[in-house]
Formats: sequence, structure tokens, C-alpha cells
Amino acid sequence: MTSGKVAQPEKQALTPAVGTGLPRSKGGSLHPLAATLTRTLGPRKVLSNLSERLNYRYDAIAFGATPLAVVLPESTADVVAAVKAARAAGVPIVGRGAASGLSGGAAPTEPGLVISFTRMTRLEIDAARREARAQPGVITLAVTEAARPHGLIYPPDPASFRTSTIGGNLGENAGGPLCFKYGVTGDYVQGLEFVDAEGDVHTLTRDTYDLAGLLIGSEGTLGLITEATLRLTVPPRFTRTLMAHFAEVGACAEAVSAAIAAGAVPSKLEFMDRACTNAIEDYLHLGLPREAEALLLVDTDGDDLETVEEERALVEAACRNAGGTVRRAESDAEAAQLWQARRSVSPALGRIRPQRMNEDIVVPRSVLPEVVREIRALGDASGLHLVQFGHIGDGNLHPNILFDPRTESLEAVHELAHEVARVAIRHGGVLSGEHGIGSMKLAFMREAVDAETLAALWRVKHALDPQGALNPGKVLPPELA
Amino acid sequence: MGYEGKVPVNNDILTHHPDGQGEVMAHAVDACVHCGFCLPACPTYALLGDEMDSPRGRIVLMKEVLEGALPLYDAAPHLDRCLGCQACVTACPSGVPYGELITSFRGWSEPQRQRSPLDRAKRAAILKILPAPRVFSLAARVGQFAKPLAPLLPNALRSPLDLLPEHVPAMQPSAAFTPARGQRRGRVAFLVGCAQQALTPNFNAATLRVLARNGIEVVIPEGQGCCGAAALHTGARDEALKLVRANLAAFNPDDFDAILSNAAGCGAGLKEYPAILHGLPDEAQARAFAAKVQDISEYLGGLLEDGELEPVLPASRPLTVAYHDACHLAHAQGVRSAPRALLRAIPGVTVLEVPEGDLCCGSAGTYNLEQPELATQLGIRKAKNILSTQPDLIASGNIGCHTQIQSHARRQGSPVPVMHTIEVLDLAYRGEL
Repeated sequence: MTSGKVAQPEKQALTPAVGTGLPRSKGGSLHPLAATLTRTLGPRKVLSNLSERLNYRYDAIAFGATPLAVVLPESTADVVAAVKAARAAGVPIVGRGAASGLSGGAAPTEPGLVISFTRMTRLEIDAARREARAQPGVITLAVTEAARPHGLIYPPDPASFRTSTIGGNLGENAGGPLCFKYGVTGDYVQGLEFVDAEGDVHTLTRDTYDLAGLLIGSEGTLGLITEATLRLTVPPRFTRTLMAHFAEVGACAEAVSAAIAAGAVPSKLEFMDRACTNAIEDYLHLGLPREAEALLLVDTDGDDLETVEEERALVEAACRNAGGTVRRAESDAEAAQLWQARRSVSPALGRIRPQRMNEDIVVPRSVLPEVVREIRALGDASGLHLVQFGHIGDGNLHPNILFDPRTESLEAVHELAHEVARVAIRHGGVLSGEHGIGSMKLAFMREAVDAETLAALWRVKHALDPQGALNPGKVLPPELA
Repeated sequence: MGYEGKVPVNNDILTHHPDGQGEVMAHAVDACVHCGFCLPACPTYALLGDEMDSPRGRIVLMKEVLEGALPLYDAAPHLDRCLGCQACVTACPSGVPYGELITSFRGWSEPQRQRSPLDRAKRAAILKILPAPRVFSLAARVGQFAKPLAPLLPNALRSPLDLLPEHVPAMQPSAAFTPARGQRRGRVAFLVGCAQQALTPNFNAATLRVLARNGIEVVIPEGQGCCGAAALHTGARDEALKLVRANLAAFNPDDFDAILSNAAGCGAGLKEYPAILHGLPDEAQARAFAAKVQDISEYLGGLLEDGELEPVLPASRPLTVAYHDACHLAHAQGVRSAPRALLRAIPGVTVLEVPEGDLCCGSAGTYNLEQPELATQLGIRKAKNILSTQPDLIASGNIGCHTQIQSHARRQGSPVPVMHTIEVLDLAYRGEL
């Protein structure tokens, strides 16, 4: 990179505005809950037609049950009214942001009320306190865009940050490439306002019992977050980007471990395998090395240029020692393109097979080489299309099984996914680094978490949501009798 | 369309629609992984903030309708609000050909729509007048006098009047053949377009001058007509097929180095011919034709890149030009750098980037006639964004954007000239910029 600034996002985040009084689709009989909500909140905030409801049953990985009604609240008071109406009707409540999540967290398991927060977009920056107060519908990238004129940023950067909302990020405790150095969404929360299962509003800070911490990553199963106070930071003055590619996936992981052991603290350390690189090339045509088995993208950053370049040199040396070929990004534009490529990996995989089973495991860095090799070998032995990418710096990998349900056996896919989860558990890892458990990883939870701990988690759930109305069927596997 | 022989997995559309258009739609739906990356790119999602008015939502709705699980009338308001700008295509990592999907869907669904007689008459009138430059010119000149009455008229009549320029020029038919100046270096066919012949005849005149100046001889084949995009995108498929086939008969791709258009919407329409004719006997002919189609800026940009563009005279003073990406150029055809490079090739010109440059201006073919409310919101937003760069000049490569931007810039009190990229280049060649 030639200039010393942190690469600017290449496009702005668009924050959707509140809807207008345009014609609505007609159709379908009105569910009593929809009728009640329409009376309480007005027709503009309630969706009840089939075409409308069909669109609020999925996220970026799963399709769920079609809701009975959808509320688009514009204030905390609207959320309270919606929760009370759903409780009176005895139906479950699922919170939803932009539905770009990858665990099925926002896809309802049974028909109920979906509360979609996309119209709660108030955002205030308090530069003196280095804080942002954001309603849940604020687009993730919009926080940094609003903070930047004050010389501040909001670091959490999930790949979907142009689409995803702060509420969704809180629900899944989203990460992103920057989380290796700067931490995940939960690390930036100073306080929360939430509506509980009874429709009461509470304001939380991080002292006393850290109930805010409990809500973060709870996927709307304990309460609905209606506002967050987020910590902002000063962006580093300098960023340097490099790309390295390797003839074998394990070598890439070895380079990562060696670079970190040598003292480098890159801000981003991202890995993708050959299939990912090729899917991205088909989309963006950047001239990435299609033949390499593994590609590593690295940013080093800081306020002292010498240190930043030293760190990049450490990573370069580790890559070369592991047999990698290194290329430095020569401009901000080139670096921005490489990072756009990285953000596009997950959806670009749709070019290979129409459906997929994705994972989000985290393993200790020391075992990364073994883990990526074991997973690669499992994939090769299975005959299925398994690919890997992820935030390798913090051991967070996204093995994905890409498949065609008409020609490939679903049992085989599930079995392979299970095997991959077992690799993580065997090496002292966990099932979710940033996507959440949702419904996609429920099946493996009993192996990942022991029975006593699960029972304790259920007691927490019962304490906060005694009726089990909040996003049922997520995070925790069914209680054993 | 590299999907011949592939069976779609995520939908059952082919069972219900076992024909060429069914195949186009089934494979587009199949490619969507519902990641939501298209949401922030979509103008209606930006304005309305609900899933039904997003590309991902619309894909789901079209799938449900095509599979018979959702009545058309229930989905229609949301599908009608799609501008067809294809910003979602640029944003889509998994390669969903959304443009082909919505076009095919509209072609299939329109005959089943129950529209009011007034609505029907309005649509029929648009599709009659737009492709007939002489009728359009006449209508525009009559409309010019009715312009002061606009505030008194109902919305349906007001919106077209609002877009008319203060002065509608006389028609200037282009010569059937324009010889190259100096040594002949190439031979192209040119599609003259419809509305622009009536509203902005200088677009074509400038195009012919610049091509001739570059040693390119230009043929305007007889028998050519409207590209069919307006008909196609409003679902009048039979009407569109007639126009498409007339053009396939008029242009013999083997006779020319390229088939050029200077209207982004028309060029994108011509490039769509293979999808329109997919599964029909003349599909191969459409492919050969579409392979030769280029936008004027794409073609001249190629000359520039090869170092073969005739040098341009410098601007008389340093000039800032805000370049507006027409959706049908940037998103539908992927042409972004060529027009910028051509403008930058004029010494003294600085090209300004427009904030929210990927967002449609709201013109979108007949959209500003059919959805005036949303089109106006987008037009205001676009003009504000462009004017925020404080340009000396605004350039774009599409007649629809041109009238929309001009009309909204004037309403915001800006006198900044709005031009076609080729007009800027033409002025520079003549030493008049």
C-alpha cells in the first residue's frame, strides 16, 4: 500500500428509510394476531399478506416456518406492544435484522410473530465519550461511516456489514476479519436496552450481573435488544496488506502459527482454499492465483509505520518459510479489492453447488495445521465437495459442505458435518465463533457441551423466558426429560 | 446461460413452466443463495426498507408464484416496483442473472394481469409512442405546450410532462451511411434509438461525427427499429419478439466489426436477445448478433486502450465532469471504466465520482411513468448527490437518465449542463469544450 490510511470502504452503506403509503398487496385472510396488531400499531407497521409473510421466513442459510404476522417497529414502545400482543395470542416471537445470518437464527421454527427491526435506524454518535447509540436496525457499516468524520470507527466487520444490522450482530455476537486483533461485537457493547418476554423494558450496563453479556449471542432467545451503546475506537494510522499463497492448506496454517509465535499481531488473518479462490475469481476477476491450494490475506496496522512494516515483514518471512509465495498490495484500491474478495467468499460458493452446510468452528491456533489437514482429508475421503475458509488468525474456520440434494445424500452431508464438528471438539475447540448456533448446529450441541452445563443454560432460559416464547428451537437442544 | 442440461435444485419451476423462459427463470432462482448481499444495492429497499421490495425478497416471491404457491396479484405490487436497474446483479457474489429473471417473469405474468382500463390504455400508449420517434416527437412538441398545465393534471399525465425539456428540438434523421474521415479503420452498424431521436438528436449526430473522425464508417441499416427493451421490461413479450426479430433481420453481424448503441438501455436490451429467444429456433442467430453489440463508450474505450483513438483537443479551461453511471451500462453491461477513461482522455477534464453512484436515478425505462412517486424520490436523491460534487458538467450514457437528471437538477435550481458522454467528446474534438 502506498498511502498510510486505513483502507476506506469502497461504497457507502445505505440505510433503508421508513416505508411510504404505497399500494399494498392484497390477499390472504387476516390472522387474529395481525388484526390486533394492525389495530394497535396501524397498518403501516404490520405485514399480514402472504407475499409479505413469505419474505420473513428465512435468513442467509435456512428457510423456516411462515410467520402469522410481521411487525416493523419504529420505536421501543412498538416492540413492547408487539410482544404483549404475541403473548396474549400465545404465539412465539422471533426477532430479525437483515436476515444475513448464517445459522438459521432468524428463521422461525414454528409460525408466530416476526419482529423485523429494519426500520429502527436511529444512530447517534457521542464523539467526546467515543460512543455510538444505535437502534437495532442500524446497518453495521453505517456506524463506522457516521463515526469516521469524528476520527472514530466501529471495528466489528462481519462480511455482510453492508447488509447486516447491529441487532443481528448482537444476537449472533458477530465477528469479522478485524476481530483477531480488535474483538467481536460483544467486546464493544457498553450497555443495552431490551424488551423481555413479558414486554417490560430494561436498561443494562456491564457492571453488576453482566446480563448484557448474556443477551449478546443469545439469538433473541432471552430478550429483544432495542438499543445498544457501542464503544468506538480511533482507527490505526497505517495499514499494510499482503497476500500469500501456498501449495497445501496445512502449510498456510503453519505460516499463521509461526507468524504469531514470532510476535506479529496482524489486524486481519484470513484464509481461503482453492475452491473458494476460484468461486471468487468467477465473480470478481481479480487475477487471484487459481492453482494455489490456500490463499492467505493479511493486514497489519498501527500508529507507528515502522512497527506496522516490521510486523508485515514477520508475516512475510513466516509465509516464505512455510513455502508460500508472497505479494504485497501496492495501493489502497488493490487492498480494498482483496478484502471485497474475502467478504464475497461465502455467497460466491453458491456457484459451485446450490446448497450447503456451513460450520463456524474455533480451535486453538497451536493445532490449526492438523485441523485444516484433517478436515481436508475428511472432505477428500467423503466424495463430497468440502471447502474451507475463515478467520484463521483466531482459529475460526468455516468448513462448508456444498451439495446438490437431488444427487447427493443428505445423510452423508450431515455425517461429514458431524465429523468436522468432532474434529473441532477433539482438538479442544468450540462449534461457533461468530455465526451463532441457531438451528444449524443444534444437532452437535450435546457433544460440544456437557449435560450439566446444558441444564444450567436451560435454567437461565427458563428464568428469562418462562413460557419459551422467544425464538424457540434455537441455541439449546431440547431439554432431556 | 451456461446451464443447458443442468437441473435446478432449489425450485420446481420447470415442472410448471417447461419451456425456454421457464428454464431462464428456474436457473436464475436456483443460483440465489439468499445471502442478502443485494439488499443494500437495491433502490426500493433503500426507500422502503422491507424484504418484499428487495431483490432477494422478489426472487422468493417470483419462485412462489411460478410454483403456484402464491397468487400473482398478491406478489405483483412488489414486483412492479422493481426498477430493473440490476444493481443487485453487480452486488451478487453467486451470479444470479436477476435481469433475465424479472424480464422473463414479466413476459409470462403480464397477459394474466387484471389491469384497469385506464392503466391498460396508458401502457398501450407508452408502448405505441415510445418506439415511434416521429409520433414521439409530435407528442413531445404538443406536450411542451401543455407543460404549464401539468400541476392541474392527474399524476398519470403529469409525470411524462414533467420530464419533457423546455424546448423540444426538430427531428434530424441520420444519414444511412457515414463515411470514415481519413483512412478507414473499421465499419460498424448503429442502432439509432427511439426517444433520443425526438428529444436529443445531437446524441446521434455527435456519435456519427466522433466515429467518422476516428476512421470508422457507420451504417444505419434500414428496417431497424426499437430494440424492444421497453416492451420486454413491461411484459409485452409478443410485441417485443416482433421488434427483436425485425432487428435480427436488419442487422447482419457478419457485415460489421461491431453493432453500436449509444443508449445504455437499448444496448443492454440488444445484449438480452439470446435470453429472450432462449429455446426458440432463432436463439443462435441472437447469440451471433449479441456477441457484436457494444455500447459506444465500450467501443471507443477499446480504441483508446489500444492507443488508436484520435487525439482530442484540450478543454478551453479546467473542467470537472460528474459522471453518472447509467444502470443499464454499469450494472447490466458492466461498462464502468471505458466512459470515465474517454472523459479523462480530454486534457483538462477531471472526472468526479458521485456519492451513491450505484443507486438508480429512477428513470429506468418507463418506470418514471409507471411508478412516479418512487421515481421522483430517486430522481431528487440522484440530482442532490450529483450536484453535491459541484461539477461544471454532468455526463451520462443514456437518454432516460439524461432527461431524469436534467429535470431534477433544474428543479433544484441548477443550470449545470447535462450531456451524453459522446457529446462531451464531440465538443472536445471540435475544440468547443
